[in-house]
Amino acid sequence: MNRPGRTLRLILCLLICLVTTAAMPVAAPAQTEELLIGIEPEHNIFDQMERYRYLAGYLSEQLGVEVKLTIMSRYGEVIKRFKSLRLDGAFLTSYTATMGINELQLEPVVNPVNPNGESTSQGYIFVRKDSGIRDVKDMRGKSIVFVDPATMEGYLFPLAYLERHGVTDINEFFNRFYFSGSHVSAIFAVLDGRADIGAAKNTVFNRLVANDPSIAQELDIIARSPKVPEITLCIRNEIDRDLREKLAEVLLHMDKTSEGRKVLERFKALGFVKSRKADFIGIEEMEQEARTAMGNTEK
Amino acid sequence: MKALRLLLRTLLTFLFVISLAPELHAEKRIGVIMTGDVPYYGAMQDAFVAELNRRFAGVEKIEIILQRPFPDSISWSNAARKLIAFDVDLIVTYGSPATQAVIHEKSRIPLVYAGLYEPDQAGIVSKNVTGCGFKVPLSSIIRYFKRLKTVNTLGIVCSGIEEDSMRQYETMKAVAEQQNMKAVKIDIRSRADLDKLKTKKPDAVFITGSSLAHLWLEDIMSILRKEKIPTGDIFPDFPEAGVLMTLFQPPHQQGEMAAEMAAQILLGEKPANITAYTFRDTELVFNLVEARHLDISFPIHLLIEATKVIE
Repeated sequence: MNRPGRTLRLILCLLICLVTTAAMPVAAPAQTEELLIGIEPEHNIFDQMERYRYLAGYLSEQLGVEVKLTIMSRYGEVIKRFKSLRLDGAFLTSYTATMGINELQLEPVVNPVNPNGESTSQGYIFVRKDSGIRDVKDMRGKSIVFVDPATMEGYLFPLAYLERHGVTDINEFFNRFYFSGSHVSAIFAVLDGRADIGAAKNTVFNRLVANDPSIAQELDIIARSPKVPEITLCIRNEIDRDLREKLAEVLLHMDKTSEGRKVLERFKALGFVKSRKADFIGIEEMEQEARTAMGNTEK
Repeated sequence: MKALRLLLRTLLTFLFVISLAPELHAEKRIGVIMTGDVPYYGAMQDAFVAELNRRFAGVEKIEIILQRPFPDSISWSNAARKLIAFDVDLIVTYGSPATQAVIHEKSRIPLVYAGLYEPDQAGIVSKNVTGCGFKVPLSSIIRYFKRLKTVNTLGIVCSGIEEDSMRQYETMKAVAEQQNMKAVKIDIRSRADLDKLKTKKPDAVFITGSSLAHLWLEDIMSILRKEKIPTGDIFPDFPEAGVLMTLFQPPHQQGEMAAEMAAQILLGEKPANITAYTFRDTELVFNLVEARHLDISFPIHLLIEATKVIE
């Protein structure tokens, strides 16, 4: 008599468990229908949007997910804009990528390789050859142009370099400093004499020199930073892992297909290479080095 | 005839000195030679006077005798002689020709110059002379022209009687040729020479820091505007003059430094002990009103380079 009653109780328990389990929410990954990717503005945003438009189209097709682009208003607001725009990822320059990795736990995915075969960039500090400025001690009382407080090449590196040479307060050391807003503008400001010293990215500097060799004859590069990833596609780590991996795979292999190569040509890149968090350690060290000078600049 | 001219000139100088006799009671007298009515030199002179007044206010009376010779060799020379005859304590000159004219007279009166283009290239060798000047990277003007339109031929307005204007011509010619442009010299020595602008039709024109060219700037611009030829300049003028872009060294800095040097000399310092200085900082002005006349549109990424935009 006991046995059928026990069996009935067991069946009842199993039924209850089944019903309860079915009613519980399952922590399955949400289906992503679109990816909103931010872009840091360059000197000519119209050209830039055109280049990225082709890439977004290709990615949408390959991923089966609509990839949308948006320009983030300016370098310095990247972290703020990343949150307010609810971006899923962004193509970030080295310093903002470092901030994004540290503050928003973004995952670095890939770096584009430029037509010269490089995926890295470095900062240059330069002066006019006829300026008489050869080193930091000659810079006292002069004017300096930076690019933007959120650029490694155009701000962080020169501050770290100056601090290494004993300059901790640029307000006191220079007659004037200002931000040009773009690497091209910083270079032209020094060429014109609107600033005595400038800092900018080597890739932009080299591109201008290739178009006009007289620029190299007029400017002297007096310091170079270590090389760091120039642009990195960083993605939120909440994005479905499969999608992240597929995105990386599509980008890393797009130079292997004729359709991919066509898009790369329009995007002005040879391909993409894998990015790692370790690539950004040098920038964190530079930030530590420039900390005092940065604090004084923001006063 | 020559002797008569010399006698007349001496007599005029004497009469000038006599007419100013009551002013001889001033404590210190500074003679200034400012060529023509060039606004760039005018701004320098204003800053010079303001700074000097600030330094000597309530301390010593300073009298300034201003000469505005027409830009030609005889007038510069006469202005220099007048100030020497007046026995001023110090002479201040703006621009190369006026400076060279005073040095040529071999007077013992100390000289402070300002507004001199690349002073270290001007060949000034005298113990009694110091001053400040400027340098503007002329290649930048070519770069901005090229970003606005195709320039195969660059006209360069200069004046063969002005040493600094000719140096600028030579520099600009070299830069233009390096950029595969043909440089066309437009030498202005008299008003009749302005007709050269009608026959030579360059794609763009650069106006050197010539006093003569700036004296007739309105006429020059009127001719070039008809042909829709854009211009670049290194002397800021009034916006109405119609120069499309101006890359210049701010004149007030040179005026103030000249005053500082003058003050030191008046207080007993020797000019040889005061190091000459070359200002290299610049400002860039784009004239959008003129751009509209010329049917030129400035791209936004070019406009942001300007220190000032005239709209």
